[in-house]
Amino acid sequence: MTDTTPAVSLHGVTKRFGEEVVAVDDVDLEIQDGEFFSLLGPSGCGKTTTLRMIAGLEFPTKGSVRIHGEEMGLRPPNKRPVNTVFQSYALFPHMNVAGNVGFGLRMQNVNDSEVRRRVGEAIDLVRLTGLEKRSPKALSGGQQQRVALARALVNSPKVLLLDEPLGALDLKLRQTMQLELKDIQNEIGITFVYVTHDQGEALTMSDRIAVMNEGRLAQVGSAEQVYESPQNLFVAGFVGQMCHLDAVVVESGSVRLNGGELLRARTSAPNSTAVTLTVRPEKLHLYSSAAEAPPDRNAIKGSVVRRTFYGEAVEYEVQIGVSGSVEVRVENVPSMHRWEIGDQVIVDFHPEAAMALTE
Amino acid sequence: MTLHQGAAARPWVDRVLAINGWMIFAFLYMPILMVVVFSFSASPNVGRWGGFTLAWYDRMLGNEQLMNSLRNSVIVALLSTVVATILGTAAAIALDRYRKWVGRGTFDAVVYLPIIIPDVTMAVMLLLWFTSIGMSLGLGTIALSHIAFNISFVAVVVRARLANMDPAMEEAAADLYADRWQAFRKVTFPLIMPGVLGGALLALTLSLDDVVITSFVQGPGSTTLPVYVFGLIKRSVTPEINAVSTLMMVMSVGLVLTSLMFQSRADRTDRQRRRRKS
Amino acid sequence: MTLPDQHEQVEQEAVNPRLERKARKQESWRGFFHAAPAYVYLTFFFTLPLIMVYVFSFASRGPTGKPRLEDWNFDSWSKLTEPLFREIALRSLWMAILNTALCLLIGYPFAYWIATRASQKTRTLLLVGVLIPFWSNFLIRTYAWRMLLDSDGLITQLGEWTGFWGQLLFTPTAVFIGLLYGYLPFVVLPLYAAIERLDWTLVEAGRDLYASGSAAFRKITLPLSKPGIVAGSILVFIPSLGAYVTPDILGGAKTTLLGNYIVTQFTAARNWPFGSAMSGAILILMLAATILYFRTDTRTI
Repeated sequence: MTDTTPAVSLHGVTKRFGEEVVAVDDVDLEIQDGEFFSLLGPSGCGKTTTLRMIAGLEFPTKGSVRIHGEEMGLRPPNKRPVNTVFQSYALFPHMNVAGNVGFGLRMQNVNDSEVRRRVGEAIDLVRLTGLEKRSPKALSGGQQQRVALARALVNSPKVLLLDEPLGALDLKLRQTMQLELKDIQNEIGITFVYVTHDQGEALTMSDRIAVMNEGRLAQVGSAEQVYESPQNLFVAGFVGQMCHLDAVVVESGSVRLNGGELLRARTSAPNSTAVTLTVRPEKLHLYSSAAEAPPDRNAIKGSVVRRTFYGEAVEYEVQIGVSGSVEVRVENVPSMHRWEIGDQVIVDFHPEAAMALTE
Repeated sequence: MTLHQGAAARPWVDRVLAINGWMIFAFLYMPILMVVVFSFSASPNVGRWGGFTLAWYDRMLGNEQLMNSLRNSVIVALLSTVVATILGTAAAIALDRYRKWVGRGTFDAVVYLPIIIPDVTMAVMLLLWFTSIGMSLGLGTIALSHIAFNISFVAVVVRARLANMDPAMEEAAADLYADRWQAFRKVTFPLIMPGVLGGALLALTLSLDDVVITSFVQGPGSTTLPVYVFGLIKRSVTPEINAVSTLMMVMSVGLVLTSLMFQSRADRTDRQRRRRKS
Repeated sequence: MTLPDQHEQVEQEAVNPRLERKARKQESWRGFFHAAPAYVYLTFFFTLPLIMVYVFSFASRGPTGKPRLEDWNFDSWSKLTEPLFREIALRSLWMAILNTALCLLIGYPFAYWIATRASQKTRTLLLVGVLIPFWSNFLIRTYAWRMLLDSDGLITQLGEWTGFWGQLLFTPTAVFIGLLYGYLPFVVLPLYAAIERLDWTLVEAGRDLYASGSAAFRKITLPLSKPGIVAGSILVFIPSLGAYVTPDILGGAKTTLLGNYIVTQFTAARNWPFGSAMSGAILILMLAATILYFRTDTRTI
């Protein structure tokens, strides 16, 4: 009989600083046990504040924070079964690696031999075996990050909170650590709540993502859902790249662009509403004539105005008459056709790939 | 020669600056070196060398009044340092770690005032106060006065150290199940320790050095070393004063170097941490 | 940072604004209690004494010189307009300003030299070199000049030998030298801090834009080191104004400064209320100078 109590549930959580600043506005969330859950959004959107309220480092102005069904209320962080990996790592400089990792256990009065055993296990888990006696100052950024992780995990928390832990690392290291974090999470099965502003990071690592903007939830869903079916323009624009074209709804499933082009798309807005047609660059394809394009899809005429080489792909900016312009992403494969500026092209895409959003 | 930051294009600027620099060092050290040198001169006439002797040191050590005043100085200094360090550290924590409390604004302003106020004014203030509350002047009033200005100095030094400390440290400690007192003992205090020691040494030095305030609030019969020496100087200038001066300088320099050692060890840690973050 | 406090609630309840306010209040009291001992102490041994200065300044002078608060008047304050006081006050002000200017003039190149021309390691040594006299007892440092400028002092001998000067002791010049010597390190340290912190890429940018060496200094380096200059000035000006030990040891009757004059009121002249009034006046001046400083804002102290 499985326990379906969510690991973390937030209900009506609001945080106000002073009279005017509303950092978090009426957030409702349920994070399932064992999930890798990300809070994603731009700076100032309230994701870190939300995380801190789960940790107990801030109290909500209003609302309920429950961990495994237990109401946390005004409980301080040292009484909550969660641990945090801080953005700055916050390693204690006056203790060595083993001292740092074992700190939480010692505070809980675990006996010495037990502490030694569990610290050893945690250090092995993050692959820092042999560095127990080192001082934090003598470690690289990546190593410090692992110590912070071990220090939190060794306490077997019900939920692990991570506040942009990979921000200070360079690109390659970040990518390696992302995979490692995911592996560790899979291995030990603890719920991870991960805060990041990097949408690529959120997409690759998370089971589910909560996109936040200005203190409110913009959308909550799996990586695929958030990416393929954004519910509003903010999410569409923030997660991944998106092309925008102004349009008006003509009838259900059909919109008209400024220049008169008629297209099929996913819409839920009533007729005659002004909408923004959104479609991802990689879902667009270029052909030299309509005949070449697959039938039964959207096909609009345009001309190439810019070409940018990204290495693994090439992006073309294509002007669609007076209706606006789109970016078309073409993967860099041997069969790739090279378009030149000024080429008259047909932009083709599947109607399911396009969404008309109102806000 | 490698170009240092801000180096001018013309070498003569460097030379002028260097000459100026060394001349100033000479200016700064010459007088005090002279004092030390002449403390060993046998001539009672300070200014003419009379052959090497330790007689003045002998005389100094045999001077009962002087030794008493030295003892008083040390007692007052130790007492006022201990009290001021405790109060000042607590005040620094209150100012840096707690954003909002009753009277914070006023306190923030008041705590800096004893640092910039001239000695004379502070001396007058305290004399008038002790007189109006009917407290008799003596070692007690001296100690109370020293504590008054030392609190501020300690608070400023410790606060600087606190500001440099990542507040996430204490959050991490709490996150790792430490209660307030444990977090303070195991995390905060070890990390601000260099600042606390630095502040304490500063307080010790200031207390040992004080002349004006002490002379105002001291009672009959008990005095501190600097005030005693002050009296000596005004009466007559003898090499015995040179010997005492040398002694006092050795004490000060010793304290300074100790404090610097602590500071540099702490700064090195800070610099490394900051460099890593950038 | 606020570490939330523990509540003895058996059943935790969801938070509402009232509860959150209560938690914040507890936090606030915590902060207060940390500062309370120092706060109380300073109230009793600083703020109240400060007020006493003004209270006593309105008292009248009793037969023994001790003040009598019952017969209060403005006599002491009106004495501030007397020519003798004005002469002394102006002389003190002048000395303080001159001293500050000289200290800055001499100290700036010195600080600049240490901050820019010395390697990292040498810099520390040089700074320690400046700190040692700085921390040596002020009295001793002033005494050193007393010794040197005395009738048989080395400097006097030198002056007689070269014919340039006679005995300098008890002249205004002696006091100047003493003040400069005493306060020079006070100005070097903040200046050094400000110059060291300077962003040299700005100077390089200036040179890149065709500024000459001296122009770059005048228009970029100097203005950017202003916080250090202001901090150093305050650290020298205010204490110079209230200087007592230096003029007392090195100066004569002609060089009575405010500091000496005030102390005399409490010793020989036995006019406590007048001494209080003068102290009160200095405090007001000092407050004005501090506000000026905080408006230019810096953190170099």
